Amino acid sequence: MSIQVEHICKQYGSFTALADVSLTIGSGELMALLGPSGSGKTTLLRIIAGLESPDDGSILLHGEETTQHSASKRGIGFVFQHYALFRHLTISENVAFGLRVQSRQIRPSRRGIRERVQELLHLVQLDSLAKMYPEQLSGGQRQRVALARALAVRPKVLLLDEPFSALDAKVRKELRDWLRRIHDDLHVTTVLVTHDQEEALEVADRVAILNQGRLEQIGTPQSIYDNPASPFVYNFLGNVNLFHGRLLADFSPEGRGDGRQEPIESAVGFVRPHELEISRDLPPDARAVVACVVRIHSAGPQVRLELSIVGNGKPVSAELGRRQFEELALVPGDSIFVWPQSIRLFDDDGARALLLDQGAGI
Amino acid sequence: MSGRIAIPSAALLRPSIQQRVGRVVLILVALMFIAGFLVLPVAAVLTQALSEGWKMYRDSIRQEDVLSALRLTGLVACIAVPLNMLFGIAASWAITRFEFHGKSFLITLIDIPLAVSPVVAGLMYVEVFGLHGWLGPWLSERNLHVIFAVPGIVLATVFVTFPFVARELIPFMQAQGSDEEVAAVVLGANGWSVFWRVTLPNIKWALLYGTILAASRSIGEFGAVSVVSGHIRGKTTTLPLEVEMLYNEYSFTAAFAAASLLTLAAIVTIVLKKVIEVISGVDPHKEEREVKS
Repeated sequence: MSIQVEHICKQYGSFTALADVSLTIGSGELMALLGPSGSGKTTLLRIIAGLESPDDGSILLHGEETTQHSASKRGIGFVFQHYALFRHLTISENVAFGLRVQSRQIRPSRRGIRERVQELLHLVQLDSLAKMYPEQLSGGQRQRVALARALAVRPKVLLLDEPFSALDAKVRKELRDWLRRIHDDLHVTTVLVTHDQEEALEVADRVAILNQGRLEQIGTPQSIYDNPASPFVYNFLGNVNLFHGRLLADFSPEGRGDGRQEPIESAVGFVRPHELEISRDLPPDARAVVACVVRIHSAGPQVRLELSIVGNGKPVSAELGRRQFEELALVPGDSIFVWPQSIRLFDDDGARALLLDQGAGI
Repeated sequence: MSGRIAIPSAALLRPSIQQRVGRVVLILVALMFIAGFLVLPVAAVLTQALSEGWKMYRDSIRQEDVLSALRLTGLVACIAVPLNMLFGIAASWAITRFEFHGKSFLITLIDIPLAVSPVVAGLMYVEVFGLHGWLGPWLSERNLHVIFAVPGIVLATVFVTFPFVARELIPFMQAQGSDEEVAAVVLGANGWSVFWRVTLPNIKWALLYGTILAASRSIGEFGAVSVVSGHIRGKTTTLPLEVEMLYNEYSFTAAFAAASLLTLAAIVTIVLKKVIEVISGVDPHKEEREVKS
């Protein structure tokens, strides 16, 4: 079941929640809607679910116009940030709810419901808790019950609204992997809303990045991470160093050094911490700057350095492998040479992207 | 924490002698206040009622007028309380689940019966439904009697007990939020089954709590009912009115016997309230605990 979002607009008073957002989610795909709070991602999810109505635009489920259908008729499963389990019902009654409220013609028999509930509790590995009440469960368990409850009615589309954000980091990671496995088993078209870029990049087949009600970029996690389309996406996906400056050489979009004068005057360069090269000796073929090591964070697989560029004192962060770190034997206060492997430039409007490979200078 | 820090902090937690004396004095003052203003009057009512013996007490209650007042009070409560339950649920549902213009105005309106003196409430009904009131002539042409009749008493009682259920439910439902109802809708439930399967089970204790408050008020209401009743013995006299009439006729024992019934109703209310708090594990005035983490 595919989902087509076509030119959706939504306004709350003077606040624009969504401004002309269009995207298509393929059948069986797991799509993440990623963005900071206020970016409109949850509003979009609720519009797909039918819990909000758009001011303009339409939602097509499997090619069929459903914008006017009520939420209870869309055949969707919805998982809420705060679980929203029925507190007065046991776990198995919670899972059975969607089946019990079905109209008599399509409702399974009592036995059918019982079997389906058992099957789902087994799927979410909570067989032993069937008789408990939600308040007796941990957050992670509750969210698994919520997923089982949503899946009980065999929804054509599964929508998850920041499902793991109320959980602690370790449980969040476990549930994320587990969600991916369940999705691989069931192949339900799934939309996951999250503000956690790591979660989105790790779980989803494709990621749509929203900012201030607009779609910034959509693509596979790899393509988005490698080729951010705007300074916003660059900033949002992990740490990045910003370099403000003016272009000195005659770069052009096609390559460099073809003699044409690039019209961009001032620009912002983006370099990820792991794209910075570090050496104690001046490299022969690169324009490097001298920086001073301010602080070293060496707990973890990667060693993170806080540097300060000698001259203007600009803080820069760099990451390097443990092995290289040991070879360099850095201590705070050392002076080192730093240069980028690659740098991505955007002009002041953030409009044009330019990738410079090796040998670029800061 | 090291032992060295723990010892002085524990010593700080132990109250000094002055603090302990102060605490005892405060508790004694509170107890004396309660004894003087609550326990003593209740005891006085009961002793007065039984002052001429158990048989006299029984006979006072068995007077036809007292029994008919008791029946009328029961009838009025049986009509007013369910009406207010329906109204209370509808109002709190509307206020906590929907956004609309004039919402805060509606909340203010609900509080009016608490702010207005019951006598004024009674007079308002006389003005509207009385023989010389706005609707009076129209009603009397059709031989419908509201003022100085049972319908007027019911109306006045509904008015004064209007806020009790809604005021219990609104903060409770606000604290609970609508997540569970939205979840039920997404799972395919229609409005009716959302109400019966999700909303009502969640609010049942707060609803019962508000209902008991409304019931006890409707049994005890005097002012508004007094204005619209007309004090016709055996017809439009509720129990509180009967108590007053007996008292004014110097039938003290009978008056106190009837009053003891009202006192008994109040005690039952308090016990029921406590029982609900214990059973439900929820003190309806501490909804915060119910708010999901």
